[in-house]
Amino acid sequence: MRIRATIPSAALAACLLLSVPAAAQQQTDSARLAAVERQLQALTRELERQTLGAEVVVADTAVLGFGPAASKVYRVGQGVSIGGYGEIVYNNYASELENGDLRPATTRDVIDALRGILYVGYKFNDKLLLNTEIEVEHVREIFLEFAYLDYRFSDAFGARAGLLLAPMGLVNELHEPPVFLGTSRPLTENAIIPTTWRENGIGVFGGVGPFAYRAYALSSFDGVGNAASGAGGFSAGGIRGGRQRGANALSEDFGLVGRLDYVGTPGLLIGASAFTGETAHNRTLPATGAEVGGRTLIWDLHADFKVAGLDLRALVAGATVDDVIELNALRGLTGAGSIGEELGGWYVQAGYDLLRAAGTTHQLIPYARYEALNTQKEVPAGFTANPANDRTVLTVGAAWKPIPEAVLKVDYNKHSNEADTGLSQLSVALGYLF
Amino acid sequence: MLAVALGATASACSLSAQTLTQDEALALAFPGARIERRTAYLTEAQLARARGLAGEGVQVESEVVTYYVASADGRSVGVAYFDAHRVRTLPEVLMVVVGTDDRIRRIEVLRFQEPPDYRPPAGWLDRFRGRPLDRELSTRGSVPALTGATLTANAVTGAARRALALHQVIGPFEASK
Repeated sequence: MRIRATIPSAALAACLLLSVPAAAQQQTDSARLAAVERQLQALTRELERQTLGAEVVVADTAVLGFGPAASKVYRVGQGVSIGGYGEIVYNNYASELENGDLRPATTRDVIDALRGILYVGYKFNDKLLLNTEIEVEHVREIFLEFAYLDYRFSDAFGARAGLLLAPMGLVNELHEPPVFLGTSRPLTENAIIPTTWRENGIGVFGGVGPFAYRAYALSSFDGVGNAASGAGGFSAGGIRGGRQRGANALSEDFGLVGRLDYVGTPGLLIGASAFTGETAHNRTLPATGAEVGGRTLIWDLHADFKVAGLDLRALVAGATVDDVIELNALRGLTGAGSIGEELGGWYVQAGYDLLRAAGTTHQLIPYARYEALNTQKEVPAGFTANPANDRTVLTVGAAWKPIPEAVLKVDYNKHSNEADTGLSQLSVALGYLF
Repeated sequence: MLAVALGATASACSLSAQTLTQDEALALAFPGARIERRTAYLTEAQLARARGLAGEGVQVESEVVTYYVASADGRSVGVAYFDAHRVRTLPEVLMVVVGTDDRIRRIEVLRFQEPPDYRPPAGWLDRFRGRPLDRELSTRGSVPALTGATLTANAVTGAARRALALHQVIGPFEASK
């Protein structure tokens, strides 16, 4: 392709008057104009090279004996990528429970620097990159939340290994506060899909047509709990305590987790995900010596739609746990403290940006969320379900974003349960990402 | 030798994260057309007007704007603007092609340094086709959000607004008449 360059005559004349020495004035006007035009052309080309990057502007040439296309990877800029997010949350609890009793003395209003996160990535080349997230929770607890290497063979297929986020639900992989509505994450994506859920593993990812997929083999939950990883084990409140978080994780059992999303319509994400794996890590019952499996299955269907100021989201999730009698025995759980054999929950959420037509960067988004979940939908014979675990939460609030990367959220969360012991709260959250 | 062969094969695979050069991008947008490289030197008044047109939150900093006018059979068929900006912490370079109707014809990603997961997908970029510079050209307007890549969506939309604002101020098709 031949590209011809021209310079506006007014600019040329100005440069000519300022820069041409007296001796050169003997030359013809056309020769001097041509010389200045070349100089300006060189300057604007250099400016473009500085602004866009040499690998974009420089003509394609071979590197290291490869043809131009094959050698591109060697010219791609490399280096460190840094980002982060954080949130500070204030919770003000009602003085009375749903049934009118005074709230427990142990429940106090709190303000917490809940999370401060630093993303650090390194792009070795266009195929291989490292991505890490270092998290400080509650000011003094430090976690490596994820750390993995990606090797992208093509857009359709890549391999990923390391400390991975389980690709389930809507929040586990995307939980930066300005991105989701609500001062707190939905309970369903806390007790059933236990965000932030990460374990060591290996897997594949990619996109084919309008679909995106991820599938990993991860070290499984520890349903019983162990001190080395800090996992507390499954409980009546859900499977959250089974997370080993990649720390000295028992790996007698591995699980498989995957998701498939339709992303062919911009603004819409709709899909499903599932996990299955045994969770007892070959433990045996002391009384009989029988090995315990504790297979756990978690699934969810989810949809997210954002367009024209609307922010709509819905998710339904469920889980089943096998060998609960044995897991209860290993954990010493009795009565209403049993792990649920079946768990279920769902939520719907909607928000709308009132300022979208106001010609300002500010956003004001009133929102509402309703969810229901029960972490003891079924318990084994001989155990009872605690009605306090059959819960609903109605959240009504608003988010103000002066820019898309910063948010102040205020909401009221009305908690109810079948035992009438729900404790409602007013919450304020400050969040940011960069 | 084996390593060289494997490297060449892998590099030849389709990989959207790879860099596209200016020449390649222009050839994609204007196959067979004659390309003329021009530079506009904006006055303060023109710069202020461009900023006003681009809108709040979209930076228009440079007084020197290089653009590429394509013509075929002696008639202008479009103009390409190249825009470099930061997504999160690393740069992205886009080509915004504007048709003779002053609407976006296409957007191509030439360079994307953030992790590939945040790269704008082609299907989403296609949604810019035919859009003029108006209030709807915004992620809060009728440009759909990118789930999980908010900063990318904002950066691309800002670049599109900036290119169209400069386009209106420069008037490249008027200059070629």
